[in-house]
This record gives sequence, structure tokens and C-alpha cells, in this order.
Amino acid sequence: MIGNDIVDFQVANQQSNWQRRGWLQKIYTDIEQHYILTSENPETLIWKFWSMKEATYKVHQRRFGFSPRYNPKSFQCTLRNKVYVDSEQYNLNTEVNKHYVHSIAYISETSYCTVVYKNENDVYTKIKEKIAEEFDISIVSIVKDKNRIPVICMNKKKATIPVSLTHHGDYTAFVFQKSK
Amino acid sequence: MNKEELLSKLKTIISPYVQNEEGLKNLNMHTDFIKDLEINSANLVDVVLDVEDEFDIEIDNESMEKMLTVEASIEVIKNKLSI
Repeated sequence: MIGNDIVDFQVANQQSNWQRRGWLQKIYTDIEQHYILTSENPETLIWKFWSMKEATYKVHQRRFGFSPRYNPKSFQCTLRNKVYVDSEQYNLNTEVNKHYVHSIAYISETSYCTVVYKNENDVYTKIKEKIAEEFDISIVSIVKDKNRIPVICMNKKKATIPVSLTHHGDYTAFVFQKSK
Repeated sequence: MNKEELLSKLKTIISPYVQNEEGLKNLNMHTDFIKDLEINSANLVDVVLDVEDEFDIEIDNESMEKMLTVEASIEVIKNKLSI
């Protein structure tokens, strides 16, 4: 199980005013708020935590088959790349640069393939190519299930390769698991 | 306040965050904020805060969890206003 989320800093700071009264309190735990407000660069940490929460949400929801919900505050981030929710623990790998933050959440050590694109309009084709290459197969399609979770199909059969896609602003990314 | 008035107020609140205008034209009880209106998930919290301001209510985390559709949001508002 794997999930990812990307935040385009420029767009995020246009779309959201984190200093709005009540905004931080609705999304972040008291500890997260403390880290944010004492940080030299609060915006970066705000979006880093946000992407960690979203990436973890994707794994947690599909793992337990939950229907969609809006509960960012239930996902508790630490500064050591872990997120806790409902007494479950998830591991995170997060890449931050000046343009974006990209987080990948997973349960246990696993090998995966991930790519971040800028201004890519056809990420589905790219991911299909990558999967075909990785698993040495020719016919791959991606469909979405009732909870809008992407599922990879090989030769029209549903495969069990966990995949996650994310898009924000100029950036698009995907991750899929190579092995269990 | 009846359902139509609530729906109309909610429509005004969500409009600034909508990225799919077609979805807004066809707004109905089953409209999903993310799927149909393409509201950015970080902006859902602004919707919640705007609803709090507009109706002078406080939305707890448990209620906020549900606010992903028009119908669920109207239920939350009615519940908080006890109508």
C-alpha cells in the first residue's frame, strides 16, 4: 500500500491564507501548530505536513476501505517522517525544494517507482509506460473504483499493484509499488 | 430558513473555490465538492470557516469530516441551527 501527494508552493500560497483565523486550528494538531509557528519558514512546514497528511490519507483510506471523509486533523505528523492515525503508524518520504513538496506514505519498507513532472498533461500515458516497462508487460490501463482510487489493469484484469497519482498547480506525480 | 435558502447561501460560499464552473451550474444536493466542483482539498477548510461565519455556528471535527457534499453540509448546518 502506497500513497503520494504533491503541493505546488506558489499555487498553494495563492489558494490559501493560512493566517486566516481558525485555519491552522481546523487542520493541524496542537503539536503541529507549535512546530509551524516556531519554524523559520512556516509556509514550508504547513504544506509539508499537509502533503504528509494527504499521502497518508490515501493509504489509510484504501487499506481499510473507508468512504471519503475530511479529517486532516486526525492525521498526526511528526518531524521524523511518521504519521499516526487511528492507532496506525505510517512511514513517509518527503522531498522539499523551492517549488514543491512531494510526500510518499507507505506501511512497511517497500521498493517503489516515483516520478514528478512539470507541466505534464498526459501523466496516465507516462505511468502506463513505466508500469509496462517495470513488469515487462504490454497492455496496461488504469481505472478508478467507486472511491475514486486508481486501479491498474493488465490485460483487462485488475492487478494488485498499488498506485497513487497526485496533481497540484504545475506539478504531477505518481508512485507505484514494485514489490511487497 | 428552508432548504432552498440554505442551498443558495451555500452556493455563494463555495463559489470562490470552485474550479469546475460546469459543476456549479448543475449544483444540486448530490454535488460532491471535490469530484464535481474540483474544489482544492485545502480550500475545504475555507468552506467550513465561511459556513461558520455565515451561520454563526461552530463546526466540530466530527461534523467537518462529513462536509464533502452539498447534502452533508446542509445536514450539518441544519443540525447546528437546530432546524
